Amino acid sequence: MAVRAARPPATGLREASPTSSVLSELARFSRRNTLAALGGVAGMLIIVVALAAPLLAPYDPLKADFRHMNKPPNAEHLLGTDQVGRDTLSRVIYGARTSLFVAFSAVVLGTTVGSLWGVACGYLRGRFDLVSQRIMEILQSFPDLILAMAISMAIGTGLQAVILAIAITRIPFGGRVIRSVALSVREMPYVEAGRASGGSALRIMLFHVLPQCLAPYLVLATAHLGAAIVIEAALGFLGVGVPPPTPTWGNMLADSITALVPPWWLAFFPGLAITVTVLAFNLLGDGIRDTLDPRLSPAFLRMMAGGRRG
Amino acid sequence: MRKYLARRAVYAAVTLLGVSLSIFVILRILPGDPLVAILGVEGHARMTPTDRVRIMADLGLSAPLPVQYAHWLGDIGAGRLGKSFFRGDTVAELIAHRGPISAEIAVLALIVSWLVGLPVGILSAFKPNSMPDGLARAISVLFIAIPGFWLGMLIVLALLFWFGYKAPIVIVQLWQDPWRNVQIVIGPGLVLGLAQGAYIARMSRSCLLEVIGEDFVRTARAKGLREGLVVLRHALPNALLPVITISGVLLGFVLGGSVAVEQAFGVPGLGRALVTAVIERDIIVVQNLVLLYAVIFVVVNVFVDLSYAWLDPRIRYG
Repeated sequence: MAVRAARPPATGLREASPTSSVLSELARFSRRNTLAALGGVAGMLIIVVALAAPLLAPYDPLKADFRHMNKPPNAEHLLGTDQVGRDTLSRVIYGARTSLFVAFSAVVLGTTVGSLWGVACGYLRGRFDLVSQRIMEILQSFPDLILAMAISMAIGTGLQAVILAIAITRIPFGGRVIRSVALSVREMPYVEAGRASGGSALRIMLFHVLPQCLAPYLVLATAHLGAAIVIEAALGFLGVGVPPPTPTWGNMLADSITALVPPWWLAFFPGLAITVTVLAFNLLGDGIRDTLDPRLSPAFLRMMAGGRRG
Repeated sequence: MRKYLARRAVYAAVTLLGVSLSIFVILRILPGDPLVAILGVEGHARMTPTDRVRIMADLGLSAPLPVQYAHWLGDIGAGRLGKSFFRGDTVAELIAHRGPISAEIAVLALIVSWLVGLPVGILSAFKPNSMPDGLARAISVLFIAIPGFWLGMLIVLALLFWFGYKAPIVIVQLWQDPWRNVQIVIGPGLVLGLAQGAYIARMSRSCLLEVIGEDFVRTARAKGLREGLVVLRHALPNALLPVITISGVLLGFVLGGSVAVEQAFGVPGLGRALVTAVIERDIIVVQNLVLLYAVIFVVVNVFVDLSYAWLDPRIRYG
């Protein structure tokens, strides 16, 4: 009996197998956040579509067909064809590939760099933190899209350039939020214990502070997926994103308005794809935020607002 | 207050210096020879080496980088913003000619966002989780997700289809012909304003709900004030501060978003000038316009901070 009582209370871990506990956890999440669960399911579907593009797309997205140019949606081409007879549905499906790949890579890269930087700022404090904060402030002084445009112009248009450009705009968000988490975590007794037992700063940051930042990291990453997709689409739309002929939702929209009277299906469907995707990820992000860290939400919003408090 | 103001101004100046330095660094890491970028490979090959050296010197691109940077800052200080490589007009002319339209769009977007967002947020907070609240939240979630430039494209397309709308080709300033000017700016202003309004509605709802849970609101209710008065007189002023801040941050979305939305509506504003310059790799124009956008963003946020400190004394002395 005494042994039982000595077990740490309220670990919340059930004895069941890990998969079933994950499943029940998921079920609970979706009961509480129906919208977020819907967003998650829609997001998964879109990801599956993007991954399975070669299987799902009815036509080659790059193949021009001059017998079927500018056709409105019909039985053969469900979403119509563009000015050179390429199938819109296939291009939207392949566009999901590019757009999601760019958005995911940019968000993971930017948020990770920002978070690591933020952990270092929050843990080390001092001059390093001061200088870093100024640098992040400078990065946040540019409107996102304009900074991304300037960077992608400088390093040349192309997939990597666009990813890097969007990633850089995401760094300060990760930096700021994770820094504040690290600032509070570093004061905890177990971190002090780590220091007292002679752990180096790097070791403590990596093994003791970093794991605590996982939840806010996930919140941040999902919250910024939507923004990254919109920036990618806007860059493509402005003609400074991933260059044609690779289909992206943004450059499809740009293509559509080169016509004197743009065919509606070319203007409508890629934009609808952007909206649905952004909506799905935003809903999921809100739900994850509310679940993982309910305390975070109002403070989080304010922190996203730059945390400028004099 | 004065001390706070001075500190804030110094911070902003340092930030802007950093901003200018980072623009310079970003644009000077351009891979390859800027002359090739400007003239194209053939044009570049056709020139004699002495011509190349002369043109580089003319453009001020052959001096060492720190000297170039110092020159740029000096030029800005003297009000010389340089010239486009491809067009005759100077950057200053470009800004004077196209700036007003873009400024009008931004101001209109701001007005629309508050006019729409705040009432919706208040109504939502009055009866949280009711039908109207749910509807308002659904609509704002939707508007946050819709890219402004796509909405703009659809509006233009609809106008084109039903009314034979044509994109404005020439700029009509407000003082020349107010009616035609309004026709140009109203579309982009509305589209950008509604998206920001969605954020404002969300923010004001959550802030109001937070304040409504506080003790002084309970006291106000307990002494028998009407609910309307409690919310509007007591809760609202205290909830507005974060909404003002987010409005300053949203300006970044408006400035960035307006670039794409102007393109969608075919409005010949500053944003389109920037896009053209980026595509043509017109370094001098890009450099100065990006700086202008950042300066506006930073300066407006300084004013937001000041208004914040003015409205909430705790910050001034904290």
